[in-house]
Amino acid sequence: MSSQTTAPAEDVAGGVTETPRERVFALLQRQGGPVVLVLVVLLASIFSSGFASSGNFSTILVGNAYISLLALAETFVIISGGIDLSVGSMFALGGVLAAWGMNHGGSGVAVLLPIAVGLVVGVVQGSLIAYARLAPFIVTLAGLLFARGLLQAISNEGSTTYLVPGHSVFAFLGDGTWRPILTAVALFAIAAVVLVRTRFGQALFAIGGSENAALLMGVRVRRTKVFVYMLSGTLAAVAGMLNASRLQSGVTNIGVGYELTAIAAVVIGGTILTGGSGSIYGTAAGVLLLAVIQNLIGVHLSQYGSSASDLVNGAFLAVVVVLQSFLARRRAL
Amino acid sequence: MAAVAAAMVLGTAGCTKSSSSGNSSSAGSSSSGSSSSSSGGGQQQVQTAAGGSGPACTSTKYGAPKLDLTKVTVGFSQSESTSNPFRATETKSITDEAKRLGIKLIQRNANANVSQQNTDIQDMISQGAKVLIVAPENSDGLTPALTAAKAKHIPVLTIDRTVKGTACSDFIGFIGSNFYKQAQISADDLAGGMGGKGEVAVLQGTSGNNVATDRTNGFTSQIKAKYPNIKVVASQTANFDQATGQKVMEQILQSHPKLTGVYAENDTMALGAIQAIRAAGKTPGKDIKVVAIDGTQQCVQDVANGVMVADVETNPRFGPLAFSSLQKFYGSTGTSTKVIIADHHFTKDNAKAALSNGDVY
Repeated sequence: MSSQTTAPAEDVAGGVTETPRERVFALLQRQGGPVVLVLVVLLASIFSSGFASSGNFSTILVGNAYISLLALAETFVIISGGIDLSVGSMFALGGVLAAWGMNHGGSGVAVLLPIAVGLVVGVVQGSLIAYARLAPFIVTLAGLLFARGLLQAISNEGSTTYLVPGHSVFAFLGDGTWRPILTAVALFAIAAVVLVRTRFGQALFAIGGSENAALLMGVRVRRTKVFVYMLSGTLAAVAGMLNASRLQSGVTNIGVGYELTAIAAVVIGGTILTGGSGSIYGTAAGVLLLAVIQNLIGVHLSQYGSSASDLVNGAFLAVVVVLQSFLARRRAL
Repeated sequence: MAAVAAAMVLGTAGCTKSSSSGNSSSAGSSSSGSSSSSSGGGQQQVQTAAGGSGPACTSTKYGAPKLDLTKVTVGFSQSESTSNPFRATETKSITDEAKRLGIKLIQRNANANVSQQNTDIQDMISQGAKVLIVAPENSDGLTPALTAAKAKHIPVLTIDRTVKGTACSDFIGFIGSNFYKQAQISADDLAGGMGGKGEVAVLQGTSGNNVATDRTNGFTSQIKAKYPNIKVVASQTANFDQATGQKVMEQILQSHPKLTGVYAENDTMALGAIQAIRAAGKTPGKDIKVVAIDGTQQCVQDVANGVMVADVETNPRFGPLAFSSLQKFYGSTGTSTKVIIADHHFTKDNAKAALSNGDVY
């Protein structure tokens, strides 16, 4: 069990003797996402003309910068053995709250309001999961509905789209090419450090591995759980807020199904859905892999209609996940 | 195992939001190959009265370099899944017309995701598109894409839904239906079917774009102005979606048992509503009159059979009109910034003939 965590210290202390074959499988399972990403990018650069251009790369990166933060939030939650289905709705709510705040107080409100609401919703969800011992799936499904409902309430059943003036400070925040990319890179880097180098990060691995064992080890299980859902809610709302700044409007019908894309990116990145194992850079690779595939499907399959795109997208995901669970099982034997 | 399940769910997630009527007819009547013949349903016709209702826009005025359309790449950004016959026909019409004119076309489908559409558009710009035709998913969320296009002096023509901004500056103009008028016609049809009195429910479309807004306002204002004995007792959104339409209709039928009329802002919601009416033990067309907008095959069939009172068309065959507008844009005359098309209106009298003529998509 202990060798499942990616924390470097744990790897060495795992103590289980592995054959070279097992080690390759272990590596593939953990590095599967990055390896496939490199492979796909290489193949696309050779066979798809126009793929390997700075314009195309920056489009892929900018277009996925803020959505990638949902996968980042989800990584923390899934490592702790939970799941957060509310991130897509929180993303939409964060955007609408920001745009609403822009129209009812200015840039300061636009930034702070989504953060506050994301934080509160996260704490409530976390408390219900940690203290009332409710299933994360159910609690965050309720959160999904609640956030969507709140969005509908402040946007007149979704029919009012609040606009962000293009010259405001808030619009500057998420605009441009480099700002979204650097924001995402910075947050991923901070998250990686938090996950591997802090007590909180280690507690997440411990809880995800075995909650009882973590409790016996003296980990503050409940407090950590509240904190991880708070982090997830806040991050999702911030992502939505930044996206609203980029779109210069609080789009109301955005974010549907984003939680599933986020979960898929996390899983492709090698984080195990049952918790206890995972990495931030794996998630980054998962996000990029999905984005690159989406880009390639757009270039080559759009002309054949949505059904062809959906088919290939679904088939590819199924292959990646089946492969990964196969590798994971080989490891466990 | 759970991981596999998650991926499976995701596989279908791409199309869950788009309205699908389950009838992906191959749009045999679309414009393939033919020049602008004046046949009944096939081609889009510019409404004579409102023909060039906007001021003319030329490439010089727009600040875009003069181009020969046949020598450059044109990009087309579709907003929603082509599992919806409207979207399928629209995409086919654009593709066919580009082929006929010998224009190189690249395209993307945003699957009802406005963030994706921004990426799609920027993507096509970096892929070398010099002119863009955009079917906007949302009226307010395309600022980054439009800004990027403007920075590179790439003109954008919007079809079927409008975007915010200034015509002939942020985008060339708009080609599409008069959604307000469509709704007014539907109101007249429904009032006629109900004998000018009774309780009506409205199934609204997805919020956040001008289509749903105009179709709601046009209907309610027409009822208020002309039919004092008709009361709109419920008005709820069903997201242009069949399953949602059915669910919402079930609830409305329970809370308003005396309901005798339904106005659905698109065909797929009407199909859902009809299922709900039948499930409640009532007969659509007899106990409860149904009208809708879009003119897809299944609903026009229902009109012919008397299940629905009438259906107003939203003609999705944008190809010929879009490309001729672009050619005028690069010519000396310029193109109108607001081209409103004349839509068909299917009633019991003409539905059967329209179906057999292949005028319905």
